[in-house]
Amino acid sequence: MSAPRPAGGYVVGIDTGGTFTDCVVIDAAGVVHIDKAFSTPHDPSVGARDALRNVAARIGVSDAEILAGCVRFAHGTTVGTNALIQRTGTTVGLVTTRGFEDTMIISRGPMGRNTGIPLERALDFVRNEKPAPYVERRLTFGVGERMDLDGEVVAPLREADVAAAAEALRAAGADSVAVSLLWSFRNPAHEERVRELLQAAVPGLQISLSSEVSPVSGEYERTMTTVVNAYLAPVMTRYITQLAEGLAADGLRYPVQLMTCAGGTIFPGDVARRAVSLINGGPVGGLVAARELGVTLGFENVITTDMGGTSFDVGLIHRGVVRTEASTFVSQGAPVQLEAAKVVAIGAGGGSIAWTDGERLLVGPNSASSRPGPACYGHGGTEPTVTDALVVLGLLDPAAFFGGRTRLRVDLAEDAIRARLAEPLGLDVRTAAAGIYEIVTARMSDLVRQTTVSEGLDPREFTLLAYGGAAPLHAAAYSEPLHVRDVIVPPTSSVFSALGCALSDIRYTYARSSPLRLEAAGAEATAAAIFADLERRAVADMAASGHAGADGAGVTLRRRLDVRYAGQMSELTIEVSGSDEDLAGQVRRAFEAEYAIRFGSMTIPRKGRIELITFRLEALVPAARPPAATIATRAGSGAGALAPQTTRRIFTRQYGEAEAGIFDGAGLLAGDRVAGPALISRADTTIFIPTGHRAEVDAFGNVHIDVRRSAS
Amino acid sequence: MSGGQMSGPPEGGARPSTVDAITFEVIKHRLLQINDEQGITIKTLSSSPIVVEGNDFNVGLFTARGDIAVAGPYVLTHVTTMDYIIKTILAETDPADITDGDVFLVNDPYMGALHQNDVAFLSPIYLDGRLAMWAGNVLHHADLGGIDEGSFCVNATNVFQEAPRYFLKIVSAGRLNHEVERTFTSNSRLGEMVAIDLRAQLGALSVVRERLTELVADVGLGTVEEVMTRTVELSERRLRRRIAGLPDGSWVTEVFMDGDRVGSERIIRVRLRLTKSGDRLTFDYEGTDRQSQGAVNAPYSACYAGTIVPVYTLLCGGEIDWNAAAKHLVDVVAPLGSVMNAEFPAAVSICSVGFTWLATAAAMKVVAMMLSESEEFRDRVVPSWNVSCNGNNIFGRDRTGKLVGALLSDHRGGGAGGRSFADGFDFSGKATSHLGFLSNVEAQEWKLPLLYAFRRALPDSGGPGMHRGGMTAMAAVVIHKGSDAIWKSTNTAGSDQSNASGIHGGYPGAGSQCSVVRDSRIWEQYAEGSVGLSLDDLGGAVEHLPSKSEGKLGAADVFAFYPPGGGGYGDPLDRAPGRVLTDVLNGAVTADGARRFYGVVIADGAVDDAATDLLRAHLREARLGDREVGRAAESVVAGEVGAGGGAGGGGGEALVQRHVIGEYLEVVGPAATPETSPATHASPGVIRCRRCGTVLSAEGQDPRGGAIRRTEPLAHAGPWIAQRFGGHSPNFVLDEAICPGCGTLFDVEERLAADIAGRR
Repeated sequence: MSAPRPAGGYVVGIDTGGTFTDCVVIDAAGVVHIDKAFSTPHDPSVGARDALRNVAARIGVSDAEILAGCVRFAHGTTVGTNALIQRTGTTVGLVTTRGFEDTMIISRGPMGRNTGIPLERALDFVRNEKPAPYVERRLTFGVGERMDLDGEVVAPLREADVAAAAEALRAAGADSVAVSLLWSFRNPAHEERVRELLQAAVPGLQISLSSEVSPVSGEYERTMTTVVNAYLAPVMTRYITQLAEGLAADGLRYPVQLMTCAGGTIFPGDVARRAVSLINGGPVGGLVAARELGVTLGFENVITTDMGGTSFDVGLIHRGVVRTEASTFVSQGAPVQLEAAKVVAIGAGGGSIAWTDGERLLVGPNSASSRPGPACYGHGGTEPTVTDALVVLGLLDPAAFFGGRTRLRVDLAEDAIRARLAEPLGLDVRTAAAGIYEIVTARMSDLVRQTTVSEGLDPREFTLLAYGGAAPLHAAAYSEPLHVRDVIVPPTSSVFSALGCALSDIRYTYARSSPLRLEAAGAEATAAAIFADLERRAVADMAASGHAGADGAGVTLRRRLDVRYAGQMSELTIEVSGSDEDLAGQVRRAFEAEYAIRFGSMTIPRKGRIELITFRLEALVPAARPPAATIATRAGSGAGALAPQTTRRIFTRQYGEAEAGIFDGAGLLAGDRVAGPALISRADTTIFIPTGHRAEVDAFGNVHIDVRRSAS
Repeated sequence: MSGGQMSGPPEGGARPSTVDAITFEVIKHRLLQINDEQGITIKTLSSSPIVVEGNDFNVGLFTARGDIAVAGPYVLTHVTTMDYIIKTILAETDPADITDGDVFLVNDPYMGALHQNDVAFLSPIYLDGRLAMWAGNVLHHADLGGIDEGSFCVNATNVFQEAPRYFLKIVSAGRLNHEVERTFTSNSRLGEMVAIDLRAQLGALSVVRERLTELVADVGLGTVEEVMTRTVELSERRLRRRIAGLPDGSWVTEVFMDGDRVGSERIIRVRLRLTKSGDRLTFDYEGTDRQSQGAVNAPYSACYAGTIVPVYTLLCGGEIDWNAAAKHLVDVVAPLGSVMNAEFPAAVSICSVGFTWLATAAAMKVVAMMLSESEEFRDRVVPSWNVSCNGNNIFGRDRTGKLVGALLSDHRGGGAGGRSFADGFDFSGKATSHLGFLSNVEAQEWKLPLLYAFRRALPDSGGPGMHRGGMTAMAAVVIHKGSDAIWKSTNTAGSDQSNASGIHGGYPGAGSQCSVVRDSRIWEQYAEGSVGLSLDDLGGAVEHLPSKSEGKLGAADVFAFYPPGGGGYGDPLDRAPGRVLTDVLNGAVTADGARRFYGVVIADGAVDDAATDLLRAHLREARLGDREVGRAAESVVAGEVGAGGGAGGGGGEALVQRHVIGEYLEVVGPAATPETSPATHASPGVIRCRRCGTVLSAEGQDPRGGAIRRTEPLAHAGPWIAQRFGGHSPNFVLDEAICPGCGTLFDVEERLAADIAGRR
């Protein structure tokens, strides 16, 4: 029998960011309430509670009332990311196969130094330093043992070595240890035995096994993933426990759900085992919200674009499925082998600094931090940023920034652009500002185009979503050359990731590398058995959390496979049905179709033999989502094209000089149409509709910008 | 007769521009992205570990006449070769035979390919109805035939014994020529793998063709062409300024190959002089030995490609785009018939890891010497960077009896030289690629019937110095679930000396060595739970191999190898004892090494300060005890300039510093008077020690002439050098130069013993 599933009441999503913590509360009628609070890095739960209180105040209730009526509380946290960047994780040990103790410092040669950073830094051959290892040398222990590629034991585990490691770990006061042995994903017996021995010898030690955290091939990446997990597990567990206890004390009746990089949530009890998966969970929330918006509006292909103060992030949803990647870099030289929603980023945000080397006008990748920030903030910043250009160009209203909480200084923006760019380059200030805008938006177009086409997808078949504080001012300009179908700015654009947390399904992902040649005898049966095993684990986990019956009722399972032609070094991930019937045929058809889409049919080798590398399973308990609430329609003669409240002079190189109509976003109703040039001003963001384009508000309050050139 | 120059005149003069600075930036970035997409496609489709994990390929966009305008960030020796091949194609092909949709396949080193394995796919891109530009990529194929597995033909004595050289049209007007594909793949021992990589190269070109067509539709061909041309012009202007800002001068170094083919231990000298004058760099290989009977020779284009590496990595870095511009400013001269400009039909199939690699090693060293004299760029000094490619092809039958093989990638774990402000990078990767990764052990074991016994860092493998050279790592493998295994070793050099130069008194790092442990007890040791972690602990007969070798691997034979370490920077006695302690705790230096190489005594996990001071004083004393001051300096000190002694002035006119040479030396001379232009330094100066003021030579002379010279066995630099001879090579020695005033070691070179004997 299925466990009772909560329904009705409030759904809460909270996403902690660098500057702000965003909160979304969806009430039983499907109405979305939003607000923010400043993030509190010393204790992020403070910012989370502040944000919740702010939303509660908007609704007109207390936060305790929200918690008491809350049926789902989901959270995206940066605690892990911050601990990783600031190196404030725990003192961690590593137990590995003897003879391979140096795997982490050898770091596959330059991979440890030159990856996970912008190319310009990597190309600074001589001065790009390698980060310090996460595990100190004295806490790295080799144990006698060896498995081979088939998972057969070549050397038995020498338990005395484990005992010695345990003793040293205890003496050093390590509270977390990673265990990563060669080929453990083919046979975890030695790793599991190491855990037993360590547990017995060092009570309280948190132990991360590579065969559980990242059971896929490649010992550097697998060990790194496991080490990062062990490094973060105590910090994350502490934070989540504290947050959950506080919320429970204040009336929350359901467990807090944590957003993962795979675009779903997990429960606090699994944080220690899956700490690494919580890195970058927040930003992935935006993709979840985008997919849901697609469901509401009836489209399956979405490009998400999120622009904040320091970066521009692009994600993809194709046929209703978030595109993922098998491995990402979470920090310099730190690849993590964990399936994650693919989010591609460049250093292009509102704070990106424009500079010149005397000949070229360049934007980023460096960015002004929030203090002193862009020159126009008036906090002493002297370097011109993208935000300064927006002010100079008239695209940002200096009086309306942050809902009028901060007044921007046009004169300081102009001074910075004049001194640092315009004069050295012999340009006037306005042209230089327009240059910053054009260059940064072109970078964004390039990134969106590359992200889409490199997966064999055509932007013309996609709807583009723009969210994050800064994207709506650039979206029309970077979308136009891409010929996307539609550009949408949702009403929740400034808290979109938090919305995604609120809307997210419970989602556990499982993977196992078990290389298998498709043509080999018995391959289909072996593959079916591996899937069956993963499915048993998934159902057991879900049942244990109370979100599914022991028979798996209420759980949706999705099978995928990383596949390649025999001999290749990279795999493509394909989806197969839940049925074992004609598995080989399913695999070949799906693989060749995907291959042709991405690389062209000319690249399909004749008589190519197929290898199955990693088996993936996703277990999903769909979240109960109230239907999206609609907004009012303008009645009578006011419907249709609106007249602006006022106008402002703006300039861009792409669209020239214009007198833009200014519209108050809060006053827009369903069916309203705005003709460019126009700026729709909201409390937390501004939407730019260029000359020749127009925008329309739909029934849910989304602003659609028509950027097709044929638009009249 | 000398080899020609690759550089042509810079393209075009100033022409009216239709593209402003902002549009330039926008289009330039889009071209980079399009080229990058070629790279992504190749990596995704390739079947070869050396391509996917080693990033041993590159991609480029070229102007209609073949100048590379946009180069990928992968193996940079390919940056200049693709360009050279297109020019050869254009010169040798009837224009009527080049049409839209063609793809040329070229791997002929005498047409510009780096070596036969590196196959270039080059395609003319027709836009607006004319040949508007070229796109191309080059990828290392695992085997293309020839007498040795892997096509690194260690046994070849002429080019006809190597993999076939191709100049083919693989695609004609958009139609794949199956007969060409078949011919190409059927000459390979690994036809299936080669077929996949061929498709990867074609896939990349079809992507780039599509994207360029879209771009031109968006912004017009004229704009794109102008941006490409101006990209090259921009790089050229900036590099020209950068070179002009460096001190004029001339710097010489030597590197050696010890063993040029299986069965030949011939020692071949490479002599390289870099002359910097105004805004030009000239690398001249005059004095380099005659070409080899083996396959290590570099044709001129390959020599050029290897030599220009530090210009891209150290002078351009991430700030100046890598493209054809550098060729306009850099001349490479090499005697025809020498190993650096081999004459047809010399065998050349190993040149990429042979003399092309040594060209890079020599060029890194002379560029480091030049940069040492620049205040602005001294922080880019790296005297050596993984100077030997310890490349080992392993072939054998897997459990199904199928022949499999590949080049192991562990050679990318070598070290780089110490820097002026920090230690050298450990396990630095190649100087020619910041993305050449070692494969995972698991990836290698999946691909080949091997078991790695260990892969571990080698303590004391970084050259001792004030800033230590980078460490290297040793790998050891044994055959597992396979049979009939052989190795073919194309170790560049380093079994008799190291080439892993230090600078300013830093010692060379580890050499580059392959060894085999015959009839080891490894399987018995595994059964007991753990194997020996050094060759001596594996319980067999250890045989250290010469740099080129081959052999069969029996069931209990362990094959082990390590690439070189990096050389040190500065006198090791100047290294802070605390940093030596850290190295000892981290396993980079042994306690014994700390004492021997650094004069640091470590006891109970801490530095014994008193013992260290005493030991260091003793070591300096010992250096001075060997006092044998060169004649040149004595005459200088005797009075020509009248300078000398501690304070650096003495009587007479005041001496002022003119410039600094690296860590310990400076050029001083009489202060400029209104009559003497400071720029020309009319009155001659001297080179002296910055520490104690002792004059070593006249300006422009070799300061080692006034130094105490000490000749030491190579073992004096560390335990991993010339292992075949227990560190006492009969052919090479260390030549140390010590300041007679203060005992500072300011130069260490590996030299031919015969040369030293000649000097004495």
